[in-house]
Amino acid sequence: MTDLIEVQNLVKVYPDGTRAVDDVTFQVARGEIFGFLGPNGAGKTTTIRVLVTLLPKTSGRALVGGHDLDREPEEIRKMIGYSGQFIGIDIDLTGQENLVLQGRLHGMSLADARGRADLLLDMFGLTEAANKRAGAYSGGMRRRLDLVQALVHQPPLLFLDEPTTGLDPQTRNALWRHLEELRAGGTTIFLTTQYMEEADRLGDRLAIIDHGKIVVTGEPDELKAGVGGDVVTIALPEDTDGELIERAKRAVAAFPGAGTPTTFDHSVAVPVKDAGRSLSELVRRLDEQGIPIAKLSFTTPTLDEVFLKYTGERMRVEETGHAQSSMFVTMRGGRRRRG
Amino acid sequence: MARTIETTRPAEAPEFRPGSVPTGNPLARLVNESTAIFGRNFKKLVRIPMMLFFSLFQPMLWLLLFTQIFKKLGQFPQFQAQGYSSYLMFFAPSVLTMTTLTSAFQSGMGMVTDLEQGMLDKFWISPIHRSSVLIGKVMSDASRMVLQGTLVLVVAIIMGARIKTGVVGVLVMLVLAACFGIVWAGLSNIVALRTKNSEMTMMIGILLTFPLLFLSTAMMPAGLLPGWLSTVGKFNPVTYVIDTARQFMNFGYAWMELGKAIGIIALVGLFTLTGATRAFKKATS
Repeated sequence: MTDLIEVQNLVKVYPDGTRAVDDVTFQVARGEIFGFLGPNGAGKTTTIRVLVTLLPKTSGRALVGGHDLDREPEEIRKMIGYSGQFIGIDIDLTGQENLVLQGRLHGMSLADARGRADLLLDMFGLTEAANKRAGAYSGGMRRRLDLVQALVHQPPLLFLDEPTTGLDPQTRNALWRHLEELRAGGTTIFLTTQYMEEADRLGDRLAIIDHGKIVVTGEPDELKAGVGGDVVTIALPEDTDGELIERAKRAVAAFPGAGTPTTFDHSVAVPVKDAGRSLSELVRRLDEQGIPIAKLSFTTPTLDEVFLKYTGERMRVEETGHAQSSMFVTMRGGRRRRG
Repeated sequence: MARTIETTRPAEAPEFRPGSVPTGNPLARLVNESTAIFGRNFKKLVRIPMMLFFSLFQPMLWLLLFTQIFKKLGQFPQFQAQGYSSYLMFFAPSVLTMTTLTSAFQSGMGMVTDLEQGMLDKFWISPIHRSSVLIGKVMSDASRMVLQGTLVLVVAIIMGARIKTGVVGVLVMLVLAACFGIVWAGLSNIVALRTKNSEMTMMIGILLTFPLLFLSTAMMPAGLLPGWLSTVGKFNPVTYVIDTARQFMNFGYAWMELGKAIGIIALVGLFTLTGATRAFKKATS
């Protein structure tokens, strides 16, 4: 696998002196979804705008699709699709006309652009609104149309800046599925997000960025393992004596792959490698030794904890809209396990 | 625990599809891109009926009101001595030019809107010539100006104006006005791209345009202007554009004047259009 994006010591200082991107280095491999996770103002948008040739960089080096950002911006523009954080659609044109225009700007014939537009409108549930002025679209529809614009010319490399901000949960899920399909078809995707859940689900690899610097890069699972893996908590019945708790502690400590167990009240907590897989085996062992279980639970570390570990603070997610804030609550509330 | 999405990934991502990477010779591409952008701008123009109505309404108002206010002036012997049979015959070419000049400032405001709505981002990341965006814009501005100009002339003719050089004169007048309008739209776009603010663009536009109109022969023949104003008017491109149109309308073919006016427009355009191109490229940063 070759790298489709290579960024070395990228720096962007705005005229007012703001050091938005501060010595950032990373690579994106062909065919992967690479996520830039960070709070507002971390430098995500600036990085993406530099890479899509919209902003000149201050220093550093960047190759996008093998083309140098300084020397061959035109070559880069030929192979990328970009959907920005701020929607860029023409509200006086219909949804279809917007898409056809994008296709034409990327050198497609009118017939090809129309065919492709209809296909995408259908795929994203915009067929009914295809011939309505985009000005009459709801916020979610505008966001979808903007995203679809980036897909008209089937670019091999896609840049998406916070693509799901302001989307309702259904649309967000549909978009996630579509991005996964695109990846399956070989498209490389660079996306920024401030949602842990999104980064976790989509990102093959992530870079956590804060205050213009990358604090850590890695696969989501790897990053989460770095903050301590899964923790299984076994609660024994309330009338359990200390001796039984000690026996339970020894039993789980002997379990392969388990860390050092700790006890509290009448419970034993133990870090394990993969709770989902070890659980049944763990239960069987305790059962064999005649240790009664009143309650069993496990927790998985989240990217939130990864962020906390590397930056020393919780991620700040700015709540700008209703859809966003409700998504935020779901995210924090659900420590769910994908499988 | 395996992630389901990983199972859908191919062992090796396929090579690039060429997709729809633009090919062909640069000139053909430039024409294609400009046409696409022109089409987009033109659709916007006709799609907002209110905008079209008001941009046509304003010149009508000027034509009707000014010719009424100054109607008696046209009968004064001193005015008649200048060779104009009525104030309408004198003033219609002025309205034509005034119309294109004010229309020119809509151009910059449209540019700010495109900037605010993120359309320029979309244009900038497309593999198109930067100039295509401006060419497409200029073409749609020009068609708006020709549309407005045609209406001005039609109403003037209904009001009793006659064009001595006929169809040729009409064409000369329209093309000349549109060319000057485009050159002036360049200035509007410079302001728009520098300020990135539509109110500022409008205000600076009015500030630049109206003194220029009043410091020319737009309202009064040169022979009836105070000496200093007549002198200032000689350095004003508006004077040459309006006077040439007037020649074709009132007196006959005036190719020398036309050549001079075109030369002056080209000279002004050299500054405003290259300035606009530069401002457009610079706005990327």
